[in-house]
Amino acid sequence: MRRTLSILLSNPLSVIGLLLVGTVVFSAIFADFIAPFPSHRGAVVDFSNFNQPPHWPNIFGTDLVGRDLFSRILYAYRISLMLGVVVLAIAVPIGVTVGLAAGYLGGWVDFVLMRLTDVFLSIPPLVLAMSVMGVLEPTLTNGMLAVTTMWWPWYARLAYNVTRSESQEGYVLAAEIIGASRLHIMFREILPNCVPSIVTKMTLDLGFVILIASSLSFLGLGVQAPTPDLGSMVAEGGNYLPDSWWLTVFPSLAILIAVFGFNLLGDALRQVLGADQ
Amino acid sequence: MNTIAKRMAAALIGVSTMALVPAGPAFAETVLRLDEVAVGELDPAKASDYADSILMFNVYDTLVLPVQGAPGLAPHLAKSWSADGNKHTFVLRDDVKFQSGNPLTADDVVFSLQRMQALGAGLSYLFANVESVEAVDDHTVSFVLKEAYAPFVSSMLRLPIVDKQLVMENLGEGEGDMGDWGQAYLSANGAGSGAYKVTAHNPQQETVMAKNADYFLGVPGAAPDTARLRYGLEPATVRTLIAQGEHDISSQWLPPEVLKALSKDGAQLLTESGTGGFYVKMNTTKAPLDDAECRLALTNAFDYGSAIKMIAVTDDVSQGSPATGAIPVGMLGANPPMDALKRDMDAAKKHLDACRYEADDINIEISWIAEVPLEERFALLMQANFAELGIKSEIKKMPWALFAEQVSKPENTPHISQLFVNAVTGDPDTLLYGMYNSKLAGTWQSPEYLNDADVDDLLEQGRDNTDLAARETAYKALNDRLMAIAPTIYGFDRQSVFAASDRVKVPALSDPSKAFGLDGMGFSFRLMEMQDGK
Amino acid sequence: MSPVVQLLAKRLSISVIVLIGVSMLIFAIARIIPGDPARIALGPNATAEQVVQLRDKLHLDDSIIVQYANFVSDFARGDLGISLYTNRPVTTDIAQFLPATLELVFVAGLFMIGFGIPLGILSARHRGKAADNVVRVLSLLGVSAPSFVWAVILMLLFAFFLPIFPIAGQISDTLTVPPRMTGFLLFDCLLAGDLRAFADAAHHIVLPAFALSLSGIGQAARLTRANMIETYDKPYIEMARSYGFPEQRIARRYAFRPSLIPSLTIIGLDFAAMLGNAFLVEAVYAWPGLSRYGVQVILRKDLNAIVGTVLVISATFLVVNIIVDLLIAFINPRIRYAERSRP
Repeated sequence: MRRTLSILLSNPLSVIGLLLVGTVVFSAIFADFIAPFPSHRGAVVDFSNFNQPPHWPNIFGTDLVGRDLFSRILYAYRISLMLGVVVLAIAVPIGVTVGLAAGYLGGWVDFVLMRLTDVFLSIPPLVLAMSVMGVLEPTLTNGMLAVTTMWWPWYARLAYNVTRSESQEGYVLAAEIIGASRLHIMFREILPNCVPSIVTKMTLDLGFVILIASSLSFLGLGVQAPTPDLGSMVAEGGNYLPDSWWLTVFPSLAILIAVFGFNLLGDALRQVLGADQ
Repeated sequence: MNTIAKRMAAALIGVSTMALVPAGPAFAETVLRLDEVAVGELDPAKASDYADSILMFNVYDTLVLPVQGAPGLAPHLAKSWSADGNKHTFVLRDDVKFQSGNPLTADDVVFSLQRMQALGAGLSYLFANVESVEAVDDHTVSFVLKEAYAPFVSSMLRLPIVDKQLVMENLGEGEGDMGDWGQAYLSANGAGSGAYKVTAHNPQQETVMAKNADYFLGVPGAAPDTARLRYGLEPATVRTLIAQGEHDISSQWLPPEVLKALSKDGAQLLTESGTGGFYVKMNTTKAPLDDAECRLALTNAFDYGSAIKMIAVTDDVSQGSPATGAIPVGMLGANPPMDALKRDMDAAKKHLDACRYEADDINIEISWIAEVPLEERFALLMQANFAELGIKSEIKKMPWALFAEQVSKPENTPHISQLFVNAVTGDPDTLLYGMYNSKLAGTWQSPEYLNDADVDDLLEQGRDNTDLAARETAYKALNDRLMAIAPTIYGFDRQSVFAASDRVKVPALSDPSKAFGLDGMGFSFRLMEMQDGK
Repeated sequence: MSPVVQLLAKRLSISVIVLIGVSMLIFAIARIIPGDPARIALGPNATAEQVVQLRDKLHLDDSIIVQYANFVSDFARGDLGISLYTNRPVTTDIAQFLPATLELVFVAGLFMIGFGIPLGILSARHRGKAADNVVRVLSLLGVSAPSFVWAVILMLLFAFFLPIFPIAGQISDTLTVPPRMTGFLLFDCLLAGDLRAFADAAHHIVLPAFALSLSGIGQAARLTRANMIETYDKPYIEMARSYGFPEQRIARRYAFRPSLIPSLTIIGLDFAAMLGNAFLVEAVYAWPGLSRYGVQVILRKDLNAIVGTVLVISATFLVVNIIVDLLIAFINPRIRYAERSRP
């Protein structure tokens, strides 16, 4: 662990990644204390100060009903991160289980499960999430559900590949000979070998889940007002370009910074954990 | 520089030189470019929204036209008309030809009405009351109504006359003698007598129309030779296209900030008013809004002043003016402008105390139509206003299509729906009957599910009386009743504002003495004047 | 040749199975939609009888299995039903809107290859130096923002503040659009011999295609770099160096070609992502493509159109993947004989 950390810290790009992720996570958790106008995350209107360019104390300007954009971005980070964590917390176990089962059990289980995975993988991710979202009411929970639907197949595929190569290894054969149960072999013997690649992918994916979720809300299929959400902020602000540029530019940069941070960190982890496939 | 970088640089230069290719006009004729929300429905029997109206009023003609700058109706395809009880007879001009060259006769009028009734789409409900229609001779047509309907002649504004012969030659498959009633054909082609012919139509993208040289009234030379109605442009796109001189008239759906920016850049602002309002409708079947006291608490808590501020474009132009009641100022039965509604928190609190529900137990669902971003701001305004009374609320975004479906059942209808409603023929009957008649509850205009005997009675009085003064009395009483039982927050009287380049003059939308008082009629291209050399 | 034909046959049959699965999945999703599509389609003023009639006509009251069977038999006749949104056959709509999207994705793909791979090579050849670091950061940035963010930023920079590109549409409306032959506008312009229209259309496609390709460019550059570096470490490159071959030639002849194969696989996958991301870019640039249509029909719960659109997009994606696989098989003799696990 200490070794991992020291390697991470020796690379300036990883340090930047750590810093960015740290900042995003910190501001999401402590938004209540950092945000200059915490109440602006909800239904507040102030028509004496609406649609104003950046000025003190609204350093990112104000939106169309007079709320502080900076405060709203901080709270939007909170929602995005929460969504990312929940999606992965559901998608990873499902995907990994499917992948393990298909890879280890083989035969018709393999055929059925992996063709099912292929079905999901051959609809472009965003289109799939949109179709699901179009059916459901646009709430945070449903947003998570829609993104999860498109996310688990990637983990199924990943776990499947690792399992396929591991299941021929000596330790698996040994376990089989001593009569260990299939469940034991799948989850106790093979799974630990998938962990490095899964952890790396999860770090990278936290960024990408934020990205996809913001894309959904950009298309109007995301969470509802007055909940702050980066994608819908960009979509709404887009109507007022180029005059009210701050409405789009700051939320856009906020997405970029968060995803960039997770990507840098994920990249660094990949090198350190040697999870390159 | 290595080769790869050099190649990339070359590619970039290639890209940027393409930017320099001049894109000058290919013809010397005048082109008018405007936009509306998608889709543009060309079939006149299915026309319902603003884009459809623009198409309909240019490609087709109607028996009558609104008088410009004053109430009343003027002859158009019909030279004269008369009523005998429930029988209305129209005498047609005999010099009108369709764009196909076929003469326009009474038969075409009969066909158009029957087609409207058979398809039952768009604004066909206006004609549900027509018992029969008959061509008395080539140029006389009479309608017999099931029951008295005072504003019947004005509903003729929404009966575009279709070229029967052309449609019959192009019937598609379908059940019965009439096949598809020419739906497939008419959704892609024009079959009217109007001043403009359809030359290309893509319901999602654009409709191109060209001057009809043989129009029976003639088309002035200053009117645009070609009009391109584009669909679904983003506000930011329209804003830039107008600033760059590549677009002429915006839709009315631009947010006030964008109109403001455009007018600062020198665009002219065109307006159309007096036909409708912004209505915040409350579902009177759902607790706590089934108690009129609770509804009155909300109507008094609504911040009318901020609402007006929100829609102001410049110091003198706004997307609305203060409401005075259920009927927009200027329409039959309306209150005078000085009776503007105001916020009154004391009254709101009193009404809330009188309401049988406790403020703490109330959670109100405020919906807004996804296609109209401005409504989200009103939702936030209401959420903040109601919070001051201690009433919690949730905001819900709904695409239009979903909304129209959900309101068909009272239990699915949100507590609060925000709608722009207008009188489709300019008569208060076409504004109020559909909204408040208890028999018609549960359409997109009537998510209130109002069931009030007095209101029903007054609505019928407005219909039955042919005497104008009696109608006015009925509508005044109706207005008062609608204020007392408050099914709706009357947000503001709507004024449509369009930004336009200086390449075009539109008297019908800039000079009150030329205004039609009917939504969309101001977009008759033949009355527009293109400015030379701009 | 025969192993390649075998591969093709196998891939095609799997694709058909997958496509059937996609159709069932999307059919199921589309039918559990709450709300009555018939009522939505008929619009606000329809009567209850009209709704019942249309439900009847659309067979909405049959069981989902019967509905699916109807759908399959119609589909076999090339009929995807009528779109309730445009009132036209879904196939007509798709035929009209798909080419614009494919053209956009195709040009974006060209950008992805044309910029991504050279950048990756550049980066690999200057490993650890400033150029490498710049490319690495830039390519990671490219991957780190959704296409709509790039679309908005590029539009703001190059259409508003520095107006060198048009902000919307496929072609200036002052130009006469050449007759529609293939539906691919750039192609139609060339076929009509109208160079001015071609230049104008090309001018219009640059910004949206570039916005769409940025994450692909980043992806391709990162991948090419990684593969090249791996190849550079191989002994035969060392040998070439020791013979004193020019760096240029080593890069092009010996390091690049083996590195191309893994990149191609990813390009196939990125193509899928671009088909989806086109939804975002088309929304920003008012591009008259299938994606905009797709968003509209999803919002309007237009069942036939949703099913049709998703099926066509998935089929396109599968076809591209098969093409990529075949390309790889042609480039790499080893694969011709080996079975690949990735579908």
